[in-house]
Amino acid sequence: MDNTYTTFKIHPSIGIARLGNTDDDFYITPEQPGTRPIACDEMGREQKDSKGNPIRVNSFKDSSDLSKIKKQAARFRVFAYKNEEDTEGEEIKVGGTYDFIYQTAVTAPRTVKGKVTDIDWTVHLANKKASWYEFQETDGEEGYAPSHPLRNAEVTQPDLRRQLIIDPGPLTVNLKNNKGAFAKFGSESKKMDCSKYKKISYPQTFPPSDIQPNSIETLGSLLVNEQEKNIRLIVLGGNGNSGSTKTPVIESFVNNDGWFDDISDGPVTATIEYTFTDITYDGDKEIKTKTKGTMDVQVPAWVVVGYPRYVPEMEDMITMDEKMYDLFVRKMAYDPQVFGVPPFTKESNSPKTQEEFDIWRNEARYNPDYYPKFYRELWPQLRRPDDFKYTFVFDFFGGGDPHNRGTGGNLNYETLSIPPKNGEDPYYRLRQFVLGIMRQTNQLNEYEVEGNYNSTSNKPRLMPMLCGNNPISNTAPQKFLSMTETQLFFLKQWANGKFVNECTEWGESNTKCTNPWVNPPTTGIGIDRGVLSNLLGGAFCPGGELSWIVNNPAIYSEPYRIKHATYIAGGLSIPQPIANTDGSTAPNLAAGMEPGDLTKYIGIPWQADFHECTFQNINITYEKWNNIYPESTGDPVEQQIAYNIPWWPAHRPIVVLDAPEPNGSQVYWASGIPNNKAGDLQMVQAWKDLGFIVSKGTGITRQFYQIERNNEALGDPVKPGDRVLGQSFGESNKENNNN
Amino acid sequence: MAGKKKKTSQYEQVKEILNTLQGKTVPSYQGLHAFWLDPETFITASLYGQRLIAPKDGSDSNEGSEGCCGSKSSSSAPTAAKQPTKSGDGCCGSEENSSDTASLQPAVSAVQQPPTTTSIGDCWPSGGSGGGGGSSPTQKRSNQSAIIIGLKGQYPFDGSIFPKLLWDAAATASADQIQTIANWIDADCPLTLEEEQKNASKLVQVSTHNNHLALATGELLHQVSTNKTNQDHGDNKGLTVRKEVSSLSADELNTFREALNCMFQYTDYWQDERSFDYWARIHTDSCQHGWEQFTTWHRLYLYFFEQKLQDYDKNIALPYWSWTDYADQNKNTFNNKEYDLGVLPEAYGCYLSKIGLDKLKDQKTSEGKSILNKKEISALEKIVKKGTVYNSGLRFLKAAGIPYEIINVNNVAVWSDKIRAIYDILKETNPLWFPNRWPGSMGPLSQYPTKDDINLLLSLDNFGDFGGGPSYDHHYGSLEKVHNGMHNFSGGTNPTYPDNSDEWKKIYQKLKLTADPQSKENPVYGWMTDNRITAFDPLFWAHHSNVDRIWARWQELHNGTPQEMNAVLAPWSMTVQDTMSIQKLGYTYMRDSVFYDVSSKTGLVKFNSAPAKVSTNTLDSHRKAEIKIHRVQRGNLQNANIRVFLNTPDATIDTPTKGNDHFVEEISTFHGSCYGGPGHCNLPLDKTRQFDFRQLHHHEPRNYKINATDAVQRILNNGAKDITIQLVILGIDGNQIDNAVYIDGVSLNFMD
Repeated sequence: MDNTYTTFKIHPSIGIARLGNTDDDFYITPEQPGTRPIACDEMGREQKDSKGNPIRVNSFKDSSDLSKIKKQAARFRVFAYKNEEDTEGEEIKVGGTYDFIYQTAVTAPRTVKGKVTDIDWTVHLANKKASWYEFQETDGEEGYAPSHPLRNAEVTQPDLRRQLIIDPGPLTVNLKNNKGAFAKFGSESKKMDCSKYKKISYPQTFPPSDIQPNSIETLGSLLVNEQEKNIRLIVLGGNGNSGSTKTPVIESFVNNDGWFDDISDGPVTATIEYTFTDITYDGDKEIKTKTKGTMDVQVPAWVVVGYPRYVPEMEDMITMDEKMYDLFVRKMAYDPQVFGVPPFTKESNSPKTQEEFDIWRNEARYNPDYYPKFYRELWPQLRRPDDFKYTFVFDFFGGGDPHNRGTGGNLNYETLSIPPKNGEDPYYRLRQFVLGIMRQTNQLNEYEVEGNYNSTSNKPRLMPMLCGNNPISNTAPQKFLSMTETQLFFLKQWANGKFVNECTEWGESNTKCTNPWVNPPTTGIGIDRGVLSNLLGGAFCPGGELSWIVNNPAIYSEPYRIKHATYIAGGLSIPQPIANTDGSTAPNLAAGMEPGDLTKYIGIPWQADFHECTFQNINITYEKWNNIYPESTGDPVEQQIAYNIPWWPAHRPIVVLDAPEPNGSQVYWASGIPNNKAGDLQMVQAWKDLGFIVSKGTGITRQFYQIERNNEALGDPVKPGDRVLGQSFGESNKENNNN
Repeated sequence: MAGKKKKTSQYEQVKEILNTLQGKTVPSYQGLHAFWLDPETFITASLYGQRLIAPKDGSDSNEGSEGCCGSKSSSSAPTAAKQPTKSGDGCCGSEENSSDTASLQPAVSAVQQPPTTTSIGDCWPSGGSGGGGGSSPTQKRSNQSAIIIGLKGQYPFDGSIFPKLLWDAAATASADQIQTIANWIDADCPLTLEEEQKNASKLVQVSTHNNHLALATGELLHQVSTNKTNQDHGDNKGLTVRKEVSSLSADELNTFREALNCMFQYTDYWQDERSFDYWARIHTDSCQHGWEQFTTWHRLYLYFFEQKLQDYDKNIALPYWSWTDYADQNKNTFNNKEYDLGVLPEAYGCYLSKIGLDKLKDQKTSEGKSILNKKEISALEKIVKKGTVYNSGLRFLKAAGIPYEIINVNNVAVWSDKIRAIYDILKETNPLWFPNRWPGSMGPLSQYPTKDDINLLLSLDNFGDFGGGPSYDHHYGSLEKVHNGMHNFSGGTNPTYPDNSDEWKKIYQKLKLTADPQSKENPVYGWMTDNRITAFDPLFWAHHSNVDRIWARWQELHNGTPQEMNAVLAPWSMTVQDTMSIQKLGYTYMRDSVFYDVSSKTGLVKFNSAPAKVSTNTLDSHRKAEIKIHRVQRGNLQNANIRVFLNTPDATIDTPTKGNDHFVEEISTFHGSCYGGPGHCNLPLDKTRQFDFRQLHHHEPRNYKINATDAVQRILNNGAKDITIQLVILGIDGNQIDNAVYIDGVSLNFMD
């Protein structure tokens, strides 16, 4: 029996769509780190330049209305992989021939050569935020205590609890039925829907239509297009509507009872339709029959809807790709040459069963002979902080330029990129210095470099000097952010001289070799990682698009793939204490993820947390405590505060240039929206008026500046130092949930 | 094919292949650029930690670092020893650095230290990252070479860490091209046609059938093997031989010193088993003294340390220090009021090499002046030329006219920069030497052990008296008492410690120093005298090897054992019972061993050896001489008699045995004819499987041991100055036979 058949996979493995409030104008998610989104037509067909490269958008808003932000679409494609050795894959085309498994009710499975005719794409978006537990920093990361409060705690009846989930039901679209809407039946948004099973009813749940200030009747829509014979799915998210069943007020950055927003996530699956010529025999007579078949894509995907990426070209200090990569390397034998069991080859690091994984995880370690690549694995970590000066003024008092990438700077790639040669290593000390100030994973609560560093000056602060997963409560504090373990391992190898400058070795000796992502990815895994590199990879308090749930290996079926749970229509899981009262489905990580399960941890409404995530004053008096109460006992201890520690400078800008230098001046990005709870509430409407930040120039002269701010709605931007009624610098402390 | 084409050497072909593959652009290759064009670079350099061409014997992975300083050195100098703290990196130019840090030490934070230890870990062989890339002799050298692995695109050159070689290249290598390069490497990288032919002819010489025949009939002499003793014994599945230290060949001593120097590189990582400190600390923490576990615990201690050394080079064994050899010389030094007069084995002494001296000459003080003055340099030059070995650092300094200096750093007595610089070099030159060692008098007491003393010890007829009592009736055994004295003798008294010298009392006063008996650099006694730190002195291991040997000898003579046989010897998980046989632990003791390799491809008619060339000392002082015939095959062979003679080169089957002083013994073989299927009586496979617990295979070749003590004594008494061995083979019918005896080797072994 010939058992070779094609493996089909959807890419990207996790797509990202972003909210917007234009009617039908949108662009496509970038598939490379730090790049602008891709321009497309009304069906989501990518626009290309004469060389075939994607055209990038220059405008993020409606051409005539600066209060309308375009949506960012997640684009999905199906790749075919010929066999186990094929790691790159190729996108399938209409009319393309592949080895399918054909099976009917009466015949055994067999491999047939079929021609692709169409793809049925099925997506199911949901929003579970209001039905979930309160977000309380690290609490819940390893399971929720019985006493952990729920959002909307007064809703304890299981069916009413499920009503808090926004669940429009799944949609299936293809080339013939090429539009679908995750909208309430009968609503305006549902009218465009021509999806495959649109007549089949589903027990939808939506918030009451009278929520204020904005009601939610849809979580987004689907399109299918054909471009150069490729059949692609376009997923569009919600309109950025958030509203409350009560008089709308914001009380918390992350938990607000009565509120809903139209963020969502869910599974993306596909079934390939094909035809083949079936040959049967009547005696000696050959009978050819043209036969239709379908085959499920074996490796499905997921889509996440996030808020707008206002600074699309600035990379986060840790990207979601890097965060996940670290997990897959350490827990799932993803790159055994980096972390594995000696001799660190793929062959000796292929755990399959749970037992094999247990053994592997026990024995695997970082490969001391791994040589990280400078521009791929090291330089991104070192060059990013310098960009943040365009969204955030970090050296308030001292001047200086600690992240300078220019000649003589601490982070000058011309010196940092040179490995030891012929026994000479002139930059050893510089590298050791840089490594020495990097915060290790066991220094999450430390502010400064340990030890007697230099008695005559201040101790250097540990880097990155950004907020960690929990600088707020007293449960498992993680005041500051560290790079991932794997990134720190790369830095350690580098500091010790074990690294390769790929530009000088591997035929990339041109300026382009300094950016391994310069060309759009063509492989499936390249698209997976490129897309994820535009999501925030920490800190998770609760995070940007996604929270700490991404750190849990249980949610993945394989590296970069979310495990799909099976679930019944209208029966999505609700928190265990309530599910237990009537035997409803409770969450089960081991069984996989349901629609809404990835985004439910994030703040509700998203605008509240987004507005507050600027700076944090972090109490560093004691390592193990974020909140201390010395006054209650008259303890004369002197409290030490690390002031103005930023959260995510590339995601939530604070101070930006209003035009490119030399003409630009620094202004508060969110000016017009005060820095208090009223401002949080205002952000529910005003998010669409904020400006986008774009870049100009390359290398160390690259600068970022603001465009498309709606001054009509927000007023002229305020410069630091200006005294304007109702404005402040932008510092905003996330409050302690436990208080 | 082009018959007239000029023949090009293999290396020329290799260069041509690589040039063509690379094409026009040559990437950096970590600064090596077109590394194949410079043979020295090609053969010794590493590319991102991957040795381009594996070192020759697979174990000396440090060879590469020699290239950069060693070019000036004469390779015959006994100090090919590597620098202790910096091998790969900047080994020529960084002496200033090292002396800087030596004096600054703890004041400097980790961040500011220069890269003196960046190549840590490179000196110790490991299983390798490529799956057994270590030192297995069956692995082809080419298969362990990064150039071959890289051209083939195997891990780590499979794209996982590095792309396939060559990088940025015009073409990828064909299988033929790779084979050509591999052949060149496996031919030991000859650079010219002449070299190729020489290598080839060497092979021919050994393998010529005629020579085999000539050797098998005794017409050609079997030469003494130049291999390390344990190479030969190991190849013949024999026990590891711990030799008396003066019997180590230059090669053996060198490897032992290299291994220690390598261990010293890990001093900062004392939890690392490759660190010497790791081993020395075990004594500090766990040593057993003053009862019956003294002998057993130390036996295991040495066993595990030796195993670790054998990871570095499988042929290393711990030498032993036969105290009694030095009894005559030390008669006057032991019981003497003057300190630091004792004599120790030369291997452990203090000497300077030309390279060491050159390094010292280059060293500058902080003012930029040379640390040595002209007079001192010329004195040292003389010492180097003469090659004198001194029993202590102090005696070395005295001979060079360099005053020993102590300075006050934070109220601690430490060596002056100059002394430190000199001691660093001396230690690097001979890692067996130890600065805190002043062998000799401990003041007026006792006596140095003689051969008679040891024989008396061996005559004790119960273990308790000899080795000590059990925990419930503990007492010292006599062996340990003697051992104690030798600890104290070898460590000795420091003549420059205030309590021991009025002059130094004054010096300390002047320096405002308080005398500290436990001072790290100027203690009252040598470290050998203090069981807390004794194992830090490399002499410790030779000393205890001798203790262990004496116990092993006593075990041959008597049956007694410690009483608590099931006690576990912490920190190891072995019991007292496990230590009862040194053979079971895989080793034995010999004063010296001479090996003759014999080919088992040809039936032996007569074995005729070249002179053994053992030292006079060995001939004079050995207790027992033994001839061992290694690996005599037995499957389906006719029985025969082997007559063993000494110093009878023309021995035949007619040479008389009776009344012949040169005759040693006649042995008879007892074999059987073969049953079973085809191949039944072939040689068995080597035992390589870890869990193969089957007993000795029927057809495993066997060994004969022949006691030759009396015969050796007889011929020496007759005036012989050297020894040769003859084996004459005759059938059981008394006639010559040429297809009955097939052996792999003959050795002449001397035991103390």
